[in-house]
Amino acid sequence: MGMQGDFLQLLKEQGYTLGAPTAIGSGHALTNATTILAFKYRDGVLVAGDRRATAGNMVMYDRTDKVLEIDRHSVMAIAGVPATAYEMVRVLEHSFKYYRRTQLQELSFDGKLRAVSKLLKDNVPAALAGTGAVVPVFAGYDMEQGSAKIYFYDILGAEFEGVEYAVSGSGSPTIRGILHYLNTWGEQPLSVLSEEQAMVQALRLLTSAAEFDSATGGINREASLYPVIKLVTGAGVQTVPDATLKPLYESQVVRYV
Amino acid sequence: MYEEPYRWVEAVGNRRQYLDEQFKQGSPVVALTYEGGILLTTVSKGTPKLYEIYDRLALGGMGHPTDLEKLRFSLLEMAHVEGFNRSPSDVTGSRLVKYGIAPVIKQAFEEVYKAPFIVRILVAELGQKPEKDALLTINYDGTFEETTGRAVLAATSAVQTKMVSYLKEQTPATLSLEQALDLALRTWAIGSLAHQQDEADQQAEANPPTSGAGPSAVAIPSSDTLIAHLRGIAGERTIECAVLDRQAPGTSKYRSLKQADLSRLLPKALQSVVVG
Repeated sequence: MGMQGDFLQLLKEQGYTLGAPTAIGSGHALTNATTILAFKYRDGVLVAGDRRATAGNMVMYDRTDKVLEIDRHSVMAIAGVPATAYEMVRVLEHSFKYYRRTQLQELSFDGKLRAVSKLLKDNVPAALAGTGAVVPVFAGYDMEQGSAKIYFYDILGAEFEGVEYAVSGSGSPTIRGILHYLNTWGEQPLSVLSEEQAMVQALRLLTSAAEFDSATGGINREASLYPVIKLVTGAGVQTVPDATLKPLYESQVVRYV
Repeated sequence: MYEEPYRWVEAVGNRRQYLDEQFKQGSPVVALTYEGGILLTTVSKGTPKLYEIYDRLALGGMGHPTDLEKLRFSLLEMAHVEGFNRSPSDVTGSRLVKYGIAPVIKQAFEEVYKAPFIVRILVAELGQKPEKDALLTINYDGTFEETTGRAVLAATSAVQTKMVSYLKEQTPATLSLEQALDLALRTWAIGSLAHQQDEADQQAEANPPTSGAGPSAVAIPSSDTLIAHLRGIAGERTIECAVLDRQAPGTSKYRSLKQADLSRLLPKALQSVVVG
């Protein structure tokens, strides 16, 4: 009998393991996923990610969804090996639901954070072997405190609160600096941006990341390929449709590039 | 002593009698489909009897709370492990019932030297399309039935039949949630009244009245009578309602109706009792 309402424990009792170390064969490039960012704006948190997955120099896929909704009030953005990351998201999704349905109450926000670190910790052997490193950003709305929060992690599962913003992935060094600059000396701090302003900034930041990082996919208008942007507010998680991003990109991003 | 076959049959017979006795105080559960999904209703005495099982599955129960909890947990476990290992669309009510808990309930019922589950269970499944909606009921001996449109749990099969035929008779072609709630509550009252009547008849049999009229004639009570009955009871009990809502955002379609929803949806005559 494990901890009450612990889905991962239930899976383990049935022989499930996450993150078993596997030696990586030479000549195999692993698939990786790249720039993700999250920052607080007026109504909550905006979480965005580009769409490219790469393996070494190869572009594997240009329509990856790296910002994944875990429940009505939380999302996880992933950088690293997608195979492991998607598996973690599936475990988390089922864990939160299982907890709510068995215990007849929502898992607290802190409980959710803890679940993410526990998964990362279990995954350490695979992360160190080089086959399963995942560096996620977790964002959610804490219903008890009535505020949106951002957390980022290292591959070992240490949890850090990103007070204003958090970034991860190979393109992140470029935009980390920009975010710092904008938030400190910009016309206004990020936290007072309106929804539309926040989306414009996200599009500009991802375009900058793609400019300097080959593993980050830019915006491709011909293929109507836009980043995934999700807004986490008290009303829940909302995915911004391409139809909203397209005019913003054309009027406020393109001419600056 | 149960090794001898006739003793075993006798023991199972006794067990039925014992179990039937256990449900006498139980509150019926009514489930029916409406235009937006499936509604489950009961009037409970404190412990909740309606639960969420999976994205599109809900549970209603009658009987001992601890037994119900045990089976609820097995259902949750099976559903979530299956949903994780395969996919959420592979988690179906019919598989959970037929290969999951019905055999467990049957086994417990027939092992006469162990305690049986004192439960009757209803599993509601919201299909991808309305015509795929399914309702399953399991009795304490593990027999299950699959129906569409409507299903009830009641203390005896006679009461159950009465409730189902009332539902059949009263269901119009389409039902809004409000109409469905009204109908479900009236059906619950039919069950509750029929049960009271059974008790009275049994007592009358024990002490025959001098007039010798026999069991009283059964006429279907009017809506007003039913609502009045509910009004009388609602004060000390809780009207419990849950829906599997096809329009709900996200993957989880289960929602239990809160006080605020109920005060808007309940028949006018009941609003004051519940909210006031």
